[in-house]
Amino acid sequence: MAGSNEVNLNECKMVVPLNTWVLISSFKLAYNLLRRPDGTFNRHLAEFLDRKVPANLNPVDGVFSFDVLIDRATGLLCRIYRPATAEEPEPNIVELEKPVVGDVVPVIIFFHGGSFAHSSANSAIYDTLCRRLVGICKAVVVSVNYRRAPENRYPCAYDDGWTAFKWVNSRSWLQSRKDSKVHIYLAGDSSGGNIAHHVAARAVESGIDVLGNILLNPMFGGQERTESEKRLDGKYFVTLRDRDWYWRAFLPEGENRDHPACNPFGPNGRSLEGIKFPKSLVVVAGLDLIQDWQLAYVEGLRKAGKEVKLLYMEQATIGFYLLPNNNHFHTVMDEISEFVSSDC
Amino acid sequence: MKRDHQEISGSGSKPAESSSIKGKLWEEDPDAGGMDDELLAVLGYKVRSSDMADVAQKLEMLEKVMGTAQEDGISQLGDTVHFNPSDLSGWVQNLLIEFNGPTTTPDPNFNDDSEYDLRAIPGVAAYPPVKSDPGLENTRKRAKTESSSSSSSTTTRPVVLIDSQEAGVRLVHTLMACAEAVQQDNLKLADALVKHIGLLASSQTGAMRKVATYFAEALARRIYRIFPPDSLDPSYNDKLQIPFYETCPYLKFAHFTANQAILEAFSMASRVHVIDFGLKQGMQWPALMQALALRPGGPPAFRLTGIGPPQPDNTDALQQVGWKLAQLAERIGIEFEFRGFVANSLADLEPEMLDIRPPEIEVVAVNAVFELHPLLARPGGIEKVVSSIKAMKPKIVTVVEQEANHNGPVFLDRFTEALHYYSTLFDSLEGSGVAPASQDLAMSELYLGRQICNVVACEGMDRVERHEPLTQWRTRIETAGFSPVHLGSNAYKQASMLLALFASGDGYRVEENNGCLMLGWHTRPLIATSAWRLAGTESGSELTQELS
Repeated sequence: MAGSNEVNLNECKMVVPLNTWVLISSFKLAYNLLRRPDGTFNRHLAEFLDRKVPANLNPVDGVFSFDVLIDRATGLLCRIYRPATAEEPEPNIVELEKPVVGDVVPVIIFFHGGSFAHSSANSAIYDTLCRRLVGICKAVVVSVNYRRAPENRYPCAYDDGWTAFKWVNSRSWLQSRKDSKVHIYLAGDSSGGNIAHHVAARAVESGIDVLGNILLNPMFGGQERTESEKRLDGKYFVTLRDRDWYWRAFLPEGENRDHPACNPFGPNGRSLEGIKFPKSLVVVAGLDLIQDWQLAYVEGLRKAGKEVKLLYMEQATIGFYLLPNNNHFHTVMDEISEFVSSDC
Repeated sequence: MKRDHQEISGSGSKPAESSSIKGKLWEEDPDAGGMDDELLAVLGYKVRSSDMADVAQKLEMLEKVMGTAQEDGISQLGDTVHFNPSDLSGWVQNLLIEFNGPTTTPDPNFNDDSEYDLRAIPGVAAYPPVKSDPGLENTRKRAKTESSSSSSSTTTRPVVLIDSQEAGVRLVHTLMACAEAVQQDNLKLADALVKHIGLLASSQTGAMRKVATYFAEALARRIYRIFPPDSLDPSYNDKLQIPFYETCPYLKFAHFTANQAILEAFSMASRVHVIDFGLKQGMQWPALMQALALRPGGPPAFRLTGIGPPQPDNTDALQQVGWKLAQLAERIGIEFEFRGFVANSLADLEPEMLDIRPPEIEVVAVNAVFELHPLLARPGGIEKVVSSIKAMKPKIVTVVEQEANHNGPVFLDRFTEALHYYSTLFDSLEGSGVAPASQDLAMSELYLGRQICNVVACEGMDRVERHEPLTQWRTRIETAGFSPVHLGSNAYKQASMLLALFASGDGYRVEENNGCLMLGWHTRPLIATSAWRLAGTESGSELTQELS
């Protein structure tokens, strides 16, 4: 056991830069401390350890942010990121909801990752990522601080996603000049990718257009143990055991991983045939143990005739998009930029 | 070539690319040695580039040691207290020690677990020897880096909006325009706008209306130079603090977190002395006294020195508080001594007056909850007080301050910051579950309203509400010769639980920030608690040399 661990650690270190390895390993270590075998979660310690950053009206690298409490009853908060303009280099409080300027202004609703249990919209890693997206896509980014498991199981995260979606869709200041509509993209990593899918499904059901889905290492699963899960278990920061724990924490009690939330195209899933589901950009890391599920998701979209572009990053591990110190990062950011700007 | 990505999974391996990645992976930039890794710094982690490999090694060590424990959960680490997660190296080190069992010789001066003397660790975890003194030197250098970077870093303007309404925006717009007119000394325009604000405010409800009304009044006072009549009577403020204490958790949090640090500092002492820079109604002390009474091994002898302003009616308010606390002490079985000192300003205090006993006999804590910022109003004020504190030879100094930037040189900036800050505060009171028309709520709002008035309408020595953010206080206090005492995950947890009790589900959040704890409403921190000790008291002379 000890011997194989050593091999694992060495392999792991070969594929990521040192600081990335340190970052993700620290997360892994912290997360191990937070999950209890009885399914409860050490929320206090989680919040203590999470590095958070405040919103900032002062533009940093051309992006400023502010938080909005969009539903007081549930405490649902979103962090909004906007590009600073030449005319208003130092936005003040009255300019926050000034109408966006442009024929077409993409609005990306972003759902952070964390396997439904970790992180927040104001976590430093996600604040940083969202700021990048503003620049890369020339977009307004709305990061949703959805309720997390295990305290808030399915469907809370999806409900919060839907609330945020409706809020965004109804902001006149987010409308593009061209058609007085809000041009919405849904994006997310890990559990956030999963949420993006389900919110998109609900949106099209309600007759509201979503222009595209961007799923970064989206979190899907199923009852079956796939080949990639067996092969990569414990090898690159993630174990099957912890994946199981998070699903148990999120899914309704008594449900298994073939629940459609987890496995949207599985035995209890629903085909999207005939539904106007948006085009998708799905990024899969080749060293992510759940890739078989992610690839199955892509397959499910294709079979239903939906437009989907798969970006398979062979040597990428989870979290590669958190630091701009690797080629996968740059490749993916370019793709996202193209995906969003092609809507003109 | 880099962008030549394939859509479907395939062989896709690009040897040239992967070797260039590999080449970069472990290359250490020789110039980057003493600097923090920039990419991790953005994410909230301070790790020196030169320490990165060491931290990696420790993580690996921990992984190996924890490997088997994963089967049944890492329950033995459940009670570990964590400190300052931004210091990744220290955090990992702490966990290694916890897991391996304490192998260090405990420093008799360390009664709290806040820092480990890393030099004393034998080679249990076999990592290569570091050339320079690892732990403590790192801490000192890090403190230096932090203080220098915080002075050059741009300030942050965090804002939380409640779902906006059209009228609210117009109101804010007018307030801002009025403040701008004042800034430009266009008093005629300012006057017209201030009247307009009144009109707009009357059509608002809730927090927005109240905040706007207070700001409008403050602007009017500034324009007409009618300064608040009782701004010079601090005793009135003291009384208003009670309802504020009752209706919202800010003061409770302040007292609670400061007491945590004090308790830990007092842990082995048999005689303790708390010097409270602002006794007011003494609300902080019953809880501390009760905790001391419950100490295993019995309570210490407890001496409290309370400082307060003169009363307009010449009553001895301090003695009254002291008397009540003495009664409590008797009930719970603590030896208690009280002394009150009347002072117009803390800067008038002379440490000799306080009958400080030698540290071997009595352990001293200095407590300053919202008491330091007024000293910034007079030149030399804070310096005088800091040097007095040093003369008191405290084991711990607890400081609580508003997390706000209300002391900048430009009026308009101060106004804007205050508008954000008090809007958030009033919003939090709005949801606090207190019946809307309650007396306590009204008094709490008045308490805050007086602060608003002071920030906006007053200048010079009268403007005492000179709130500054934690980063600035840190620099000031560290430069003056203090080192941080970190508040850990245990204090954090208890503070969070306290909030759940007193302010359930209302959006109050505790945040850890480089060893300090902050209480905020949703994502906006509003007050910050920090704890300090005299630099060089714990680890010998190398530290003082390091600092000078």
